[in-house]
Amino acid sequence: MIEFKGVNKWFGKLHVLNDVNLMVQKGEVLVICGPSGSGKSTLIRCVNRLEPIQKGEIIVNGMSVHKSSTNLTKLREEIGFIFQQFHLYPHMTVLQNIMLAPVNVKKITKAEAEKIAREKLERVGLAEKADAHPIQLSGGQQQRVAIARGLAMSPEIMLFDEPTSALDPEMIGEVLDVMVDLATEGITMCVVTHEMGFAKKVADRVLFMDEGKIIEIGKPADFFDNPQTERAADFISKILTH
Amino acid sequence: MLANFNFRIIFEYLPLFLTGLKYTFIIAIVSLALALIVGIIACACRISGIKVLKYPAIAYIEIIRSTPLLVQIYFFYFGLPTLGITVPEIQTGIFALMLNSGAYIAEIIRAGINSVDAGQIEAGHASGLNYIQRMRFIILPQALGVTIPPLLGQAIVLVKDTALLSLISVMELTRSGQTMTSERFMPSEAFLTVAFFYMVIYFCLKPLADWSQKKLIFREAY
Repeated sequence: MIEFKGVNKWFGKLHVLNDVNLMVQKGEVLVICGPSGSGKSTLIRCVNRLEPIQKGEIIVNGMSVHKSSTNLTKLREEIGFIFQQFHLYPHMTVLQNIMLAPVNVKKITKAEAEKIAREKLERVGLAEKADAHPIQLSGGQQQRVAIARGLAMSPEIMLFDEPTSALDPEMIGEVLDVMVDLATEGITMCVVTHEMGFAKKVADRVLFMDEGKIIEIGKPADFFDNPQTERAADFISKILTH
Repeated sequence: MLANFNFRIIFEYLPLFLTGLKYTFIIAIVSLALALIVGIIACACRISGIKVLKYPAIAYIEIIRSTPLLVQIYFFYFGLPTLGITVPEIQTGIFALMLNSGAYIAEIIRAGINSVDAGQIEAGHASGLNYIQRMRFIILPQALGVTIPPLLGQAIVLVKDTALLSLISVMELTRSGQTMTSERFMPSEAFLTVAFFYMVIYFCLKPLADWSQKKLIFREAY
């Protein structure tokens, strides 16, 4: 479903992705963790071409992401992206936020888009907020709307870039609940997060990155209980002890 | 001082002032409408990233902003006839005001567009919207909120700038003051009246600016 082949990326002199090779299967839930600056956000931002790469290739559903001949709209239709800062459109209502892309990218009718939007809102538990503006919602609610917005395009892949890092602690749970629900439904997910509870519960594999390299990748139980490298062990002890 | 004023003479010249006011108003409205079009086009070229559009737009904006309006007006007033273009003064004046305000408006709109959070644009990218759709649904609606108060400010400046057209003998408000002065030599009465009419226009536009400012503050709370 998503394949990285020898991917290299530099920000100026900084080698932010260093020869990344990775295969994510259909329906897999992959959790990506690592110290800040290790390249984990950049890794998933390359998957829908929010970032260019300088070497190698990423293939999503048979499409070579960074080839100029690739239909970018079609590629992005299949990939939902959730940002740390939600990025809801402030001048639109919740419903309009969710309907924008289905109507204008997928070209479905407004009535159909509204039906889907209400369905997705129901699913993230915010049906009653359809006509609210983002400002009127809490951070957790905004992130759930953002997830509903992503889901409304019926993507095969959902990418999450630290979806709970900007939230107050008491709101993290409601967002994770929605994500757990998604994970058990067979949608392919790549989640950059430090929520190790989430990783243990639903991840098929955990990927640990440092300095742009994949250091370790494996089943959550193996990774947490029996890390193979000192760096991973050190990282785990740091995030699990507080 | 007011006691020495001859108000009778003002009333006698009232038709002249009203004609002047009418022309000032028309010149301002027409120039503003044209300047908006010029400004939008110049701004679109400026941010397009296409070199043959971008650099001429930058040159235009910088030349206009670095030279006095009066010099620009004289340039077109004396320059156009040497190119064989002879149009009435009023059209030359509108042309100069249009180019002048257009450059400032281009920069106002550009600032508005740049003020939209990069994350908003990324969200548009991520959901598959193309450039035009991102502009139309995400960037411009948000840029508009920040753009309207300075645009109204520019409109107010433009109204007062029309006074300079009196120097190329366009029969607008200031010119009617000059006319009365030269005929009756009562400059105090003449220009007090002129100033009064400019104030009337200003105080019609100001509530609009204040109102839009309040709308903007509401928007920023998002």
